[in-house]
Amino acid sequence: MFPLVTITLFLPLVGAVLVLLSRSAPARVAHTIALITSALTLGGALWMWSRGVQAGGFSQLEHFTWMPSIGAAYRVGVDGISLPLVLLTALLFLLTFIYSTKLKQRAHAFVVLALLLETASIGVFTALDAILFYVFFELSLVSMYFMIAGWGHEDRRRAALMFFLYTLLGSLPLLLAILGLYLGSTPHTFDMRTWIAHPPLAGTAAMLAMIAMLITFAVKTPVFPLHTWLPAAHVQAPAAGSVLLAGVMLKFGTYGLIRFALQMTPVAFHDAAVVVLIFGVFSAIYGAFAALGQTDLKRLIAYTSINHMGYIIAAVAIASLALNPRLRALALDGAVLQMISHGLVTGALFFLVGMLQDRTDTRELGKLGGLLRVVPVLGWSFVIAAFASLGLPGLAHFPAEFQIFLATLRVEPGAVVMIIGIVITAGLYLKAIGQAFLGETPAQWRGLRDLRTSELLTIGPLLILTVLVGIAPAWLLNVIHLTTMALQP
Amino acid sequence: MNLIAPIILAPLAAAAVILLLRRASTVFALAGVVASLLSSAGLLMAVMHGSSYQVIMPGLPGMPLLLLAGRLTAVLAVVVAGIGALVFVYAIGYMKEDAEKVRFFALLSFFVAAMQTLVLAGDWLLFLSAWELIGFSSYLLIGFWFQRPGVGASASRAFLYTRTADLGLYVAVFLLVAQHADTAIATTLAGNNPTTVLAGLLLLIAAMGKSAQTPLHDWLQRAMVGPTPVSALLHSATLVAAGAILMIRVVPVLPPEARLAVGLVGGVTTVVTGLIALAEADLKRMLAASTSSQYGLMLVAVGAGVPLAALLHLIAHAAIKSSLFLGAGVFQHSREDTAFTNLRGVGRDHAWVFSGFVVAALALAGIPPLSGFFSKDAVIGAALAAEHAYLLAPLALAGTLLTGAYMARALRILWRGDTHAGHVVGLRWMGAGIAGVVLLAAVLGATFGALEEWLGAALPTTILAQVSGLSAALIGLALGWLVPAPRLFGPLYRWAQQGFTIAGGIDALIVRPVLFIARLCARFELSLYTGVLAIGRLGMTIARAARCGDEQGIDRAIFALAHGSRRLGARVAALQDGLVHHELALAVIGTALMLAALLAGVLYF
Repeated sequence: MFPLVTITLFLPLVGAVLVLLSRSAPARVAHTIALITSALTLGGALWMWSRGVQAGGFSQLEHFTWMPSIGAAYRVGVDGISLPLVLLTALLFLLTFIYSTKLKQRAHAFVVLALLLETASIGVFTALDAILFYVFFELSLVSMYFMIAGWGHEDRRRAALMFFLYTLLGSLPLLLAILGLYLGSTPHTFDMRTWIAHPPLAGTAAMLAMIAMLITFAVKTPVFPLHTWLPAAHVQAPAAGSVLLAGVMLKFGTYGLIRFALQMTPVAFHDAAVVVLIFGVFSAIYGAFAALGQTDLKRLIAYTSINHMGYIIAAVAIASLALNPRLRALALDGAVLQMISHGLVTGALFFLVGMLQDRTDTRELGKLGGLLRVVPVLGWSFVIAAFASLGLPGLAHFPAEFQIFLATLRVEPGAVVMIIGIVITAGLYLKAIGQAFLGETPAQWRGLRDLRTSELLTIGPLLILTVLVGIAPAWLLNVIHLTTMALQP
Repeated sequence: MNLIAPIILAPLAAAAVILLLRRASTVFALAGVVASLLSSAGLLMAVMHGSSYQVIMPGLPGMPLLLLAGRLTAVLAVVVAGIGALVFVYAIGYMKEDAEKVRFFALLSFFVAAMQTLVLAGDWLLFLSAWELIGFSSYLLIGFWFQRPGVGASASRAFLYTRTADLGLYVAVFLLVAQHADTAIATTLAGNNPTTVLAGLLLLIAAMGKSAQTPLHDWLQRAMVGPTPVSALLHSATLVAAGAILMIRVVPVLPPEARLAVGLVGGVTTVVTGLIALAEADLKRMLAASTSSQYGLMLVAVGAGVPLAALLHLIAHAAIKSSLFLGAGVFQHSREDTAFTNLRGVGRDHAWVFSGFVVAALALAGIPPLSGFFSKDAVIGAALAAEHAYLLAPLALAGTLLTGAYMARALRILWRGDTHAGHVVGLRWMGAGIAGVVLLAAVLGATFGALEEWLGAALPTTILAQVSGLSAALIGLALGWLVPAPRLFGPLYRWAQQGFTIAGGIDALIVRPVLFIARLCARFELSLYTGVLAIGRLGMTIARAARCGDEQGIDRAIFALAHGSRRLGARVAALQDGLVHHELALAVIGTALMLAALLAGVLYF
């Protein structure tokens, strides 16, 4: 069969090599290569989407022998949980490259790093071999570190280092867990499908492995109290970096939580699910409150990510606690859809803040004001994205959060207190809109330019998809549902 | 052909076309709402002849979206589109000189589409969506003149109040859906399966937010910063009506305790906001307080278990209140203000508009044969016949009396005083809109008998209800006309003007603590961040110390070790002297040591 997944996965890497080879060419060439490769990658992802997934298990499998002696192989494939994430990743990278075409400063290096990150990200979602997964997982870290350190704002070095150390230390437990799962499986293998079909560990060993995985993914997602790297990294990262960080890389945490912790150590996860649930609920509420207290627009959006990802953590815990398979599917449908929605909406918001900062050189809410009159397209885009983020029906977050809350109420009614998060986020976005966009326009902001074509092309698809997912989520949910319905308890 | 779809799609399409073409906004908007009106009228006819319509759309897995036309919903759809169309006609004149007509009419059309979705929704998912979307569109409409100071804050307040209360609807919907494993409203409300008291109270909270019931009434008065047609629409058949519509729909399954709570909330609101209206110094804010008060009366009827009375009052009030607001808009354009002090005598300047205003005011007070008389009579009759009549009836009568009082006071202020007419642009369109709604406000009562019969519910009207209601209205009108408001209130006047705020109101009791927690979290975040950085710095310090240590200590130690090994090597060489017994002895000792270590390990573990 035509190795579509592999080609899609390594296309960006090929692009990166091409850019390296044309190092002496002008920046325009590098950007063109990036645009073409990422567009082709999106084409590949769409093709993968058209092939679809089957109910239960993985589809579009591709397999090459790699290290047979230790049971590691190159294995890739997708299911209803990873396929939407692959599509989201490919889309966000293409938009990032469109947005970054204006970048002149060390453009080659930036493009290479971003393309490398794209392969790593798609790799994380498609890898079905634990070693392969871990390699991609760590590779993404390196590219993001350099992206923040090289193209970030004032305090970028410190933020980049913090991000790197946090997530590096965070991923060590995952390595231990992978080794544990490997040693527990007979015959020894790194095949994730085998681990999912027959969870290799039981008892204390499973619990320890599960805790190790929880730590890794809690740092990545992030969950309170392991989240401190996120606001720092987001605020200092360049807009493109923030979009990729929030839109794609945070999903590694929640995806890993489902793929590893929930699927490979299901019994241990079920035993600890109440604790996970508490962390998720607390994170959701805490993230909302912390966001409300911010005065820096970018930091504010970063904190809402903690809120939105908290819902996903809670939903995965609810899925583990649910005994009825329909309820489990309901919670997981919500969790996976929430990942996609968050990628679209928060991606749009970070792009918009980047565009705002390009024009005003500030992110302080107190200094902005009355901008809706001056830059109406930017302003209305922000209003739509903000209302999507606060969960307005008809926009992307609502169907996801509705499912999550409904499943929560039916499985663990007390945890539904996290619903106050939607009021707090409403308050903080209205405050931000009021301060930055409404009211009289201060003299210094008159004469700002509204969005350029490249910026419109960046933001347009995200907003259209936000509405599309909000009004008719069926096209996504049907794919997700195929897998979540067949998930083993 | 299915008649449901165009009711929603026509105004929605109008909004889209207006945004895309950016011209002829008034034409498209009017066409959209008239198409909605015609198809809802057609739907009503069809439903009358016994057909039923429904549309099923894909929603979430296992939760399809449902549009459903029953008798109640068909009537409501006609009311929404009818009032909407007349307000649109008026708005053509009112917004004649506004630069942002495109945005205005697109939003207004979207708003009508959202409201029609709410009315026709047959499942909770769609109902909740429409419920939130009308909140969103009213945020945008209230904040229409967003550059003006304070407008953004008022719009945010409206959205936040209603969204906070919406949590009640969210959780109640989850409870209902969980109980019945189905999202269809009909299923969850079917048969003799009363919902829990908790679900009933949660629904009440949601309705209180939308219908601006005490203590959540204050956002509505502040929402007056929006354009007047918006106020007219919000207060009559749309946003505020959503709360009452919700209550009317769910009342059959409310347990008695929840029903009593609904009645009491309505009763208290009708009195409290009636008093606020009486003390108010601004015409539009007075009308807003009056809206809360009238919706309080509807909830009294719901609490008394007679949703039909609430429905009749909702319909009558929709026509009356839009008449009043539209009239107020003309006065506002004439004097560039809505404060009573600047509106003295404005009624004489615009005698025709004022006569319409008077008709509507008398209708609201409940004077026969105007529509308000019949609906208010039904509400009071319901309260008198209720199980808890001793609680509900006095409140309903007090609300009726206050209605007469504040309307009479307003009429007197508008009539007495100097005339100096300002030029009003677009008066012809505005006049046409006003004439339409005033006509409805006057004659709608004639249709109530037929409506009653058709919806198959009887109203418990008695002579007692009619006499007491009418006398309360007349006493109220007399009081309001003859006695100045400060004297009516005595020492309470100032407090009433402040909206009977207790301990700083919602701001002090909820908003400020929430912001305080938020600031606390933000500060905690900052210290957490500094803490992590400090750990990082500590790590760096240790690393630096380690490097020094490496260079001076460990390196030296390693060199020393190397030196030592060499010397040891020389000595070992001396040991291995080729003598077999020496080497054998060493091997034995070594093996013994290893065995001992192993044994110790085994024993220990």
